[in-house]
Amino acid sequence: MIAFLATVVVGVGTYLSRSIFILALAQKKIPEPVLLALQFVAPAVLGALIVALLINDDGSVAMGLPELTALGVGGFITYKTRNHILTLVVGMAVFWVVRALI
Amino acid sequence: MSVDRVIVKRAIADALPLFVPAVPFALVIGLAIVEAGINPFSGWSGSWLIFGGAAQLTLISLLGSGAAVAAAVTAALVVNARHLMYSAAHAPTFQKQPSWFRWLGPYLLIDQMFALTIIEADRDPETFRTYYLAAGATFWTLWQATTALGLALGPVVPLEWNLEFAVPLLFIGLIVLGIDKWPKAVAALVGGGVTFLVAGMPNRTGLLVGALAGIVVGTALERMRP
Repeated sequence: MIAFLATVVVGVGTYLSRSIFILALAQKKIPEPVLLALQFVAPAVLGALIVALLINDDGSVAMGLPELTALGVGGFITYKTRNHILTLVVGMAVFWVVRALI
Repeated sequence: MSVDRVIVKRAIADALPLFVPAVPFALVIGLAIVEAGINPFSGWSGSWLIFGGAAQLTLISLLGSGAAVAAAVTAALVVNARHLMYSAAHAPTFQKQPSWFRWLGPYLLIDQMFALTIIEADRDPETFRTYYLAAGATFWTLWQATTALGLALGPVVPLEWNLEFAVPLLFIGLIVLGIDKWPKAVAALVGGGVTFLVAGMPNRTGLLVGALAGIVVGTALERMRP
């Protein structure tokens, strides 16, 4: 139930962010400083999320060799090929192999 | 009003290749719902309530990892804050549209839709509307179907595969694709680094501190650039 309510809240917020200028503020422009900061929201949040998702229940971070190698290889593959499927397949394979080796 | 089939076909043909990169996100969302132990319908409902892969994945994986609900919701909303830019960019085009479309259109305004339709903005309002709706309906239908497929595959995948690691992998791909200047790379590194330093904060709320630090540093660097 909590998960569903949380989803509704994110859904409403997402719709607002997509619609606010179209529905209500068509004559308004986003202020320059806000526009500047908005560009850095996605990389900053995604960087934070990667680490947050690897935090263990005791507060330590599961960022060992398997994770770091796989993330490095995955990032490189996306950079070279722009292919998320390939990134996913090779990244997971690297993760499994390095984990099995150490 | 007769629907222009040529425009509809063109919209669908343009949308299909853009959907391919979203397929792994859709499948991983389905898997993540199963791994998170969230009620399948609640988890999948994000596909039509939110209709945005990065935010859905953020919300589900954080809820599943025992993060505070408020932190998970905030993070998902912040991930989607970029849509403000799309909304502002499309506002002039939508002023020429009927009211029902001004309400419906933004619901479909995902990243791919913005990329496709912003270059159609100069077309006559009816052509634009037909193209927008056909492309939007294509993305929407495929998204509902592929996230449901991921949900069906979820229970089949063994836990030992640690497929939850697919989420960070997809996110690093999104970061790499989004970097068009070095302050963005620094913003990502600061976001991750600070989150690492404050990892002990309760219920993963540290990610909000890390994200804020990344935004501040990225913005400051950009301002200092000549």
